[in-house]
This record gives sequence, C-alpha cells and structure tokens, in this order.
Amino acid sequence: MSLYVHELRLLLRQRLSRFAILLLAILTIAALAAGMAAVARQRASIAAIPAAQAEDIWAVADYVVRTRDSGSAAYYSFHPTWDPPAPLAFAALGMRDVSPTILRVRALGLEAQIYDGDAFNPELALPGRFDFAFVLVFLAPLFVIALFHDLVSSEREAGRARTLMALPRGGQALWRRRTAIRFALLWLSLAFPFAIAAAVEGVGAAAIVAVLALIAAYLLFWIGAAAAVGRLRWGSVANAATLAGAWLLLVLIVPTLANVAIDRAVPVREGAEIALAQREAVNRAWDIPREATMRRFYAAHPEWAGSAPLGTAFNYKWYLAFHQNGDAEVAPAVAVYRAGLMRREAAARALGWALPSVGVQAALTRLARTDLKAQLEYQDRIRAFHAALRRFYYGYLFTDRPFDRSDFDRAPRYERFAQASDG
Amino acid sequence: MQTIPDPPISIQSLTLSYGRAPVLDGLTLQVPAGSITALLGGNGAGKSTTLAALLGFERADGGTIAVCGIDPGSDPDAARRQMAYLPENVALYDHLSAIENADYLLALSGERHDRAAIAGALAAAGLQDQAWDRRLGGFSKGMRQKVAIAVALLRAVPVLLLDEPTSGLDPRATADFNALLLAVRARGTAVLMVTHDLLSAADVADRIAFLERGRVAHEVAADGPDRFDVRALHARFQIGGERRAA
Repeated sequence: MSLYVHELRLLLRQRLSRFAILLLAILTIAALAAGMAAVARQRASIAAIPAAQAEDIWAVADYVVRTRDSGSAAYYSFHPTWDPPAPLAFAALGMRDVSPTILRVRALGLEAQIYDGDAFNPELALPGRFDFAFVLVFLAPLFVIALFHDLVSSEREAGRARTLMALPRGGQALWRRRTAIRFALLWLSLAFPFAIAAAVEGVGAAAIVAVLALIAAYLLFWIGAAAAVGRLRWGSVANAATLAGAWLLLVLIVPTLANVAIDRAVPVREGAEIALAQREAVNRAWDIPREATMRRFYAAHPEWAGSAPLGTAFNYKWYLAFHQNGDAEVAPAVAVYRAGLMRREAAARALGWALPSVGVQAALTRLARTDLKAQLEYQDRIRAFHAALRRFYYGYLFTDRPFDRSDFDRAPRYERFAQASDG
Repeated sequence: MQTIPDPPISIQSLTLSYGRAPVLDGLTLQVPAGSITALLGGNGAGKSTTLAALLGFERADGGTIAVCGIDPGSDPDAARRQMAYLPENVALYDHLSAIENADYLLALSGERHDRAAIAGALAAAGLQDQAWDRRLGGFSKGMRQKVAIAVALLRAVPVLLLDEPTSGLDPRATADFNALLLAVRARGTAVLMVTHDLLSAADVADRIAFLERGRVAHEVAADGPDRFDVRALHARFQIGGERRAA
C-alpha cells in the first residue's frame, strides 16, 4: 500500500473529513442540477417562441389586413428576441438571473423597451443564485478551512507531531502528501460532477479544462492561506477562527465594500431612468408641432424625406418618427450608461486580480457568457434587429405601400441576429 | 550488507544554544551497539535537547554528533532511517487499529511488512492478540508503547531512542517494558533512554550518565551481580541533578 493510500485511509476514517467531502460533493451536484434546470427552463422558453409568435402574428394579421395599414402592422406586431444560454451557462448563471433573456420588441422607441425592466435588485445581485459558481466561490473555501486548518496543529495537539517527524518519510514530505490528498479530494468533489454536467451540456473541452484549472487555482489559494496561518504555530481553534475571518473578509466584506466603492467612483444612472426619459420624450412629442417632429426625423433619415406629406388625421409616420426621435434624444444617455457599466466591469475585473473570489466569479461568468459583456452584446443584437425591423416597416409606411398578410412573412427574423451568441 | 559504525551513537563535545542560552555545553556520549545507556538529569539539564539533536530537530552549534556515522543535522532523513524513537507519551491514531497504526508508521519509515509480520511483532512486544484489530481509542499508555515497540522491532534499526518510557506505567507494565528493552538490546540495538526513573534505569541500563548543565557530569557502568549501587547513585543524583535544577 503506497503512502498516499495510507493517508487516504487515515483521512477517510475521520468522520469530519468524510462528512465535509461528501457534503461538498452533494452541494456541487445540487448546484449543478439547479443551474441545469434553470438553463433548461430558459431553453424551453426560447424553444416555445416560434409557435407563440406564429399565433400572435396570425391574430395581428387578421386585424391589419382589414386596413392593409403598415403603421398598424408595425404598432401591433411584437417580434421576439432571445439570448440563448451558452453551453456553460448552467455553471454560472450570472446576469442571466437578473436581466431578461427573452425580449419582445416592436418597431417603436427601442430604449424604453430595452431598459423597462432594468432596475437594480440588490437581493438578487449580491450573493447570486445557488449555482456552481456560488458553491465554488463562497462555499468551497469553508471546506478548505475545515480540512486544512488543523493539518499540522492537530498532530501537535495530539502529541504525534514528534513521532511523525522522527520517521524518515514523516517530515515535510508528510505534510505535502496530506495536502495533496486533501486538495485532490476537494478538487474531485467539485470537478468530477462539474465535468459530467459539462459533458452532458455539450461544453467544449477547452472551456471544461479552463474551469477545472480555475477550480484548482482557487482551492490552492485557500490552501496557501491555510498553510500561511499554520506556519504561525497557533492552535487549531485559533487557526480556524483566523481562516474563517479571512473568508468573511475576502469573500463577503471586501468584495461588497469594493463594489460600493466602484459604484461611487463610477456613478451610473439606472437603466429604468433611460426608459423613463425616452417615454417622457415620446409623450412630449404629442404637444410638438408635427412639422417640427418630421423635420427632425427626416434630417436624421433623409432616405424617407421624399415621403408624402402628413394629413391632418393621425398618421403612423408621425407616430413612429417621434418614437425614433425619442430614441435619438436619449442616445447620449445610453452611451454614457453603457460606458459607465463597462468601466465598472473593468474595475471589477481589475479587482479580481487582487481578490480571488471576485476574479474567479468574473472568469466563470465570462467563460459562461453570463456577464455584463454578454448582456450588452445581447442588447447590441437587439438593436441591430430592431434597426432591421424599422427599415422593413418604414419601407411600407414611408412609401405608402399597403401591408398584406403575406408581408408579415417578409419581416426580419431574429434568428439571423441571434446566431452570434449560439456558440 | 551495510556496516554499522560502532558506537552507533557518538556525540563529541556537542554545544547547542537556544538563542543566547546554552543548553548543551560540550556534551560527550557514546552508546555502543547492544547496550542500553540511561541519561538522567534534572529539568533543564539538556536531556530532551540531546534527543532532539540526535533526531535532527535541532542543529548543533559545535562539536560532532553521529547516528551510525550520519550527522542528523545535515542529513536528518538518512539518520532517521537508522533509528526509532519513542516519545514520553506514545500518541498514535485512535481511529486506527493497532495493526493499522503499526502498518502506517512502518510505511512512514519506508518499510512494508505483511499482516503476519506485524502481528508477530505485536505479539513479541507483548500485546495480546485480542487487541491487534481494536482501535487504539481505549488503549493504555503501556499498550500504545507496545505498538510503537513492535514498529521498532520490525524496523530492526540499530538505534532506539526513548524519552521517559516508564513514566506513568504501573510496576507490572514497567517490568514488561524493561523485559522488552532487554530483548531489543539482545538484538544488538544501541538504546539511549532519557529518564527520571533511576530505579528503572538501574534495572536495565548498562551505563547511566548524569547530565548537568548540558554535559555529562558522571557516568557509571553496571558492575558485578548487583549492577549499580542505587543508594549511592540516588544520593549523587539528588545532589547533582534535582537540587541544582530546582
């Protein structure tokens, strides 16, 4: 029997060690199952879109064909967009939990539609959901502390340290073997269930290897912390208390304070404020002379300037024009908002180099494409799709072409824009 | 076959300090093969430090120290391969059985023995067979010592270091232990026993060295059928050791 097998037997004979390793494996499996279920629900919702959309458009078409009015078609038709989860999303739900993954848009003002639900929810944003990233970042260090806080001190306290040190293979090599065994068991408790789940979800080999390496690196950081505390030659209780304090600081308190500091250093209005500003701009437009609205619209979109003049009755050209003017009015605020969010993200990533808990979370959500960058990319795809929708409807509206049932089939489809995120 | 230098334990003019406080001050001691040397002395005389230096836990400031010709300060692992060490309280793993404990300690010594060999050594050490597969949680100090001695027997090392082996043992257990020690000596092992127990030392030791202020102040060898004049040694020990240490 090799020394490693001896050490394994010794470790697994201890009830606390057995319990800790088993509990970590159970928590990992539960977190992976919860993540996979959440992602499966999102995929099911996305899969149900075509049927629901066909039904919806059919009902709109029934109404629109009576007047063949392209403005009504544009006004009443909702067009779904979706952000399909990346294969690794189950492991780190990230912002998919707090921001929409399906958004139905009309060819009206876009910004209010995008930012309507973008209100900050601290309850959801801080600790995150119970997913694999949560288990790794928040819980795994506690298991490292449980298995490593008394690695040497327990032998000293039990009076065995001298006996062990006096044996030819019982010196520093002994602590290295024990460290390796504990590290391997903790790593396997996290990595093995993850690798199976990742294979089931069709995650690429490179991403799996990256996450496995990330798990190892994060565990090694905490093992290093436990070793550093162990070198102080305190008792096991003092070691445990010190490491628990370090966990509290490095995983909860400092990241939270740093988050507050970043938010203060980079002030950003809430997205909902942009939605409100856009709506107010649209509402004000009702009181602005139509000619002024159309002048502004045609100046920005001269390709439609040759359209027939408006009559005195309500006209969707005017209605859609002031919606687009509303978007243009809040465009600078949107740019500032996005830039602010990206600066915050960059600051958080920089912080990740100093705070492993933040760094690991950021790396996982990047690999899983569930971070802010992925969310902004989804918004970019929505914007591109929405621009195509406008071009499509404007092509009828500003040329006074009638809109028939068959024209609904010619409307742009989001599939073409969604492909960018399907990998 | 490896030739063991004799004496297996050789200490010459050893000096060792903790900070600025000298603990060993020119200690010279030889323990020949197949003999038992008892090292007596008061608290702070340097007994434990001598063992620590032999085990390679402490490095000497001056002089020479060799275990089977190896300096434990410069190559502790090689020196430790030549010796077994029994601390005052043999603490083993309570959640392992006697055989599993022995198996583990042997593995840490770089040796592999089958169950029959371990059981044989436990029997030779005087541990009853009903106890072999019992977890050590309920073992007395004497029983734990027997497990550790069994490991030393199996390792067949030329040097055995003992730190207060009979403290806390009842008279029968002490007698059993001493008998075991004589068996170990008969195999040619050099035994160095640090103890406060003059009577027990006088029972088994071939030589008794009294340590005072980090050096051997008196050394007597067993002589004649009565071996030692315990009364005279006791008087000298009281005067030379405990009183000064106090």
